[in-house]
Amino acid sequence: MKTILVVEDEKTIRDELKELLETSGYNVILLEKFDNTLNDILNTEFDLLLLDINLPKVNGEFILKEIRKTTNVPIIMLTSRANVTDEVLSMSYGSDDYITKPYNPNILLLRIGNIFKRMEKNINVITYDDIKVYQNKGMLVKDNKELDLTKNEMIIFSLLLRNRGNIVTRDELMTELWNNEEYVNENALTVNISRLRAKLEDFGIENAIETKKGQGYKLL
Amino acid sequence: MKFGKYLIDKYIEILIVIFGYIIILMMLFAFKVPSQVIIGITIILIISCFGVILIGYIKRRKFYNNLINNVDKLDKKYLVLEMLNEPSFYDGKIFYQVLYEINKSMNENVKQYEISLIDFKEYIELWIHEIKLPISSLTLMNHNQKNKLYKRYEEQIRKIDSYVDQILYFVRSENAEKDYLIKETNLKKIINNVAMKNKDDLLANNISLNVEVNDEMVLTDSKWLEFIINQIISNSIKYTRDDVDSIIKLKTEEHSKQIDLHIYDNGIGIPAKDIKRVFEKTFTGENGRNRSKTTGMGLYIVKRLCEKLGHKIVVKSVQNEYTDVIISFSKNDFYKIKN
Repeated sequence: MKTILVVEDEKTIRDELKELLETSGYNVILLEKFDNTLNDILNTEFDLLLLDINLPKVNGEFILKEIRKTTNVPIIMLTSRANVTDEVLSMSYGSDDYITKPYNPNILLLRIGNIFKRMEKNINVITYDDIKVYQNKGMLVKDNKELDLTKNEMIIFSLLLRNRGNIVTRDELMTELWNNEEYVNENALTVNISRLRAKLEDFGIENAIETKKGQGYKLL
Repeated sequence: MKFGKYLIDKYIEILIVIFGYIIILMMLFAFKVPSQVIIGITIILIISCFGVILIGYIKRRKFYNNLINNVDKLDKKYLVLEMLNEPSFYDGKIFYQVLYEINKSMNENVKQYEISLIDFKEYIELWIHEIKLPISSLTLMNHNQKNKLYKRYEEQIRKIDSYVDQILYFVRSENAEKDYLIKETNLKKIINNVAMKNKDDLLANNISLNVEVNDEMVLTDSKWLEFIINQIISNSIKYTRDDVDSIIKLKTEEHSKQIDLHIYDNGIGIPAKDIKRVFEKTFTGENGRNRSKTTGMGLYIVKRLCEKLGHKIVVKSVQNEYTDVIISFSKNDFYKIKN
């Protein structure tokens, strides 16, 4: 399980972030005292850092710069200042992403997921049981048999696969599609899912995607 | 400054001299002074009187002509004192001194307003920073609760956030300071951010979003442009028609000197009589009055921001057919930083 360190001085946001991230299957560590922020961060082990720019006593950008001297751990900057200089500064100091408050929780989760996905980029081929999934090519391969998926179908299938065994809501699927610049509507999503089902069935994978009424879909 | 007018202005002095001359003349006649002496005195008197007037005129002419010319030429007329030398005559000195005092007091006054305006702007920015925290908390709490009204709460929170942003950009657009950064920006990414922001509204209202934008780079400030496109799309979402399948289309057109971004919708359009005024401050028009409450500030701020960024913005529309907002980005190699 990935561990995320949250450095945010606003208690309510901090606690809600913890809940959000924990329900999404991450391990969360909160920093609650800000007397020695930089050292506290450096002495903690984590896989990703959510760092607020406006912290008591010290500036988030300074912390970012200092952390970058020792480690390449992914960092996402959070800020309520919609200011392009902050963004440019953060990016040039080496933050991996920059999100302005109030962030859409789904988007935040998506960005975090993307960063972890990027880190494992070398493993471009993921597997679904004995089927190899080539995301970039949009192709599933099983015993030399190939199945081509459209871009939308692949996006849907990948998200379901990444959350295999858990329910993925329509809203989450929609967010993922839109984030990939596929601006589909509700009907198109339904059509895409039934097409994906039909294709998988033709390919010999039957009843792989289960519909949870009123909740979403689950890949078995 | 004209000599004739100056002379007329000095008529009392001249009358006194003439009056004195007549008395002297009478006295000279009474003492039976020879006529040569009288003529001599007359000539001396006329010359000296004329001399006094002329010297006074010349001194003043230089100062006042300078003043008049400078006031005419200057764009900011209150700066005229900076271009004036202190005159050599007494009343001019008083005048100059008073001008100086007036100028100083006005500068102080203006400065005070400037400071209070900057304070106000800083306070607004700070306030927005603060209000975003509870909005963030609310968004997260709402998401974590996941109750039945989740979507509807989220919609309202989004509205609050969008109104807060409007104030922020209004303050920024009204301010003379340059707090934006123009650099090469990927248009597609900005559009994606706007799409994500409006995703739920678009889906809930059954509006199809059609984006035909390649990986075009434009020179702009990404945050400002995001706000601009967001405002325009919010309007498109607000003013849809019921008798057609609503669509919003974003498309770029490349020209030799510019890239045009079309934001097209097949909504209710804008009446011909209103179209020229849509960018005016607090202008609501027929649509604003009939359809929904509106402040009429959105497009005004959009126009101001576009002007500051150097983008051209045009609206084309036919009522009950379509609205097409076109933003033109100039392709200027001058800005491109060579690696």
